[in-house]
Order: sequence, then C-alpha cells, then structure tokens
Amino acid sequence: MTGRTADVTLVVPAVPDSIAVIRQTVSGICEALGADPRAVGDIKLAATEAFTNVVLHAYAGRDDGTIELDARTTDHHLELLVRDHGNGMTPAPLAEGLGLGLPLIAALSTELTIVEAEGGGTEVSMTFALHDPPREQ
Amino acid sequence: MARDRHVREHDLSTAPELRARLHDLGESSAVIIDLDETTFVDSSILGVLVGGLRRARERDVPFGLVLGSNAHPAIRRIFELTGLHDVFPIYASRAEAQAALSGGAP
Repeated sequence: MTGRTADVTLVVPAVPDSIAVIRQTVSGICEALGADPRAVGDIKLAATEAFTNVVLHAYAGRDDGTIELDARTTDHHLELLVRDHGNGMTPAPLAEGLGLGLPLIAALSTELTIVEAEGGGTEVSMTFALHDPPREQ
Repeated sequence: MARDRHVREHDLSTAPELRARLHDLGESSAVIIDLDETTFVDSSILGVLVGGLRRARERDVPFGLVLGSNAHPAIRRIFELTGLHDVFPIYASRAEAQAALSGGAP
C-alpha cells in the first residue's frame, strides 16, 4: 500500500479482560503517531466498541475465540481492522445493552466497512483521521 | 447515600461490578456516580448506568452523575454523542449533587 508507514498486528483471547489491553495498544499507536488528543479518544472508543462486539457476539457457546487487530497508517490516517473467526454478527440477548456500539463506531470513524472474514467470522475496518477534527462544531 | 467513585477506564470487564453495585441499592437515599476521575467509559458502561437510573427511579431513589469542569473530555464526548447527557441528571460537583439529591445531607 502506497504511503503505509507502520503495521501492527495483535491477537488476543476474546474475553473482557483483553479489551483494555488492546485499547492501550491502540492508544500507544495513536500517541506514537502524534494524533490529536481528541482523535486518540475517539479512536480508543471506536476500537473498544469493536472489540466488545467480538467478545459479546462473535463466539456464542465457544471459549476459544480470538480478536485479531491490524493497525495500518496511511498518510494522516489510521486504519484498524478488527477480525474474528466466530459465528457472524448474531445479536446476543443483553439485559442492558443499548445497541450503541456500531452507531458510535460509525459516528467516530471517517470510513467503516463490515465484511465476512476469510474463513468465516467478521472483519470490521475503521479509518480515522489522526489530526483533523472528525466533525465540525 | 450510595457513593461510587469511578477511577480511570471502564469497559465490559468492569461493567459487572458496577451493575452489581447499582442493583443492590439497599437503604440508599440517593445514588451519585462521580465520573470526575474517570478517563474512559464505553457503551457497555452507559448501558449499566441507564439500567441503574431506571432501577433507582422504580424505587424512587434519586440518581445523578457528577461531571465537573475538570472531567475528562472523552467522558463528556460519549455522553454528548449518544444524547445521554440529556437523560441523566448531571451535576458539576459532588457537593452540588448531594445538595440536589438528598437535601444537602452529608
């Protein structure tokens, strides 16, 4: 990919305790790239929502699932790919879920695509501006 | 009065503890969630807070959030993005919340 300056790949178990670990990884990448503080916050939130979706929805009835994160930088943007190899995006019954995960990701990212991953599962691709405000005030 | 001081970052891994605290209101005269030292919450925490607000209202227990002027921008941002800043009673300080929710009692 033209202009790509860094790649990071991380694979962690799809359990709640992994979410903070990969969020801190994403935060570290953002800060290393000199992202604006507001962009760092937005990217951390969107990434957390994507990781949470995997933990809650991807591996119903299984405890061997993983979350794969690929981070790619291109020019002044960061692309995060969050991939699982689960059962697809089946809704799970949640007592207090607000259904805000994907709407938040859509609001915080400049591009969002959700496709079936190779070999099954789901791949969420999110692109963020590192410096420009994501929205006008 | 039930008090809960949330520190640092909260997500799906800490949601069950908060949910349990908000489920067991006991003899609480009010619930005040102080978010001033929290630097991150996600939608799973918002879901727990909405559930807690609903439960408190069912029991006629006043419920409020503390988001002061020094609150982390990320906390304000998620409440604004989701529109939930209009759903929760939000106070600028714990003292203000206490005065409003429990008549100023300590």
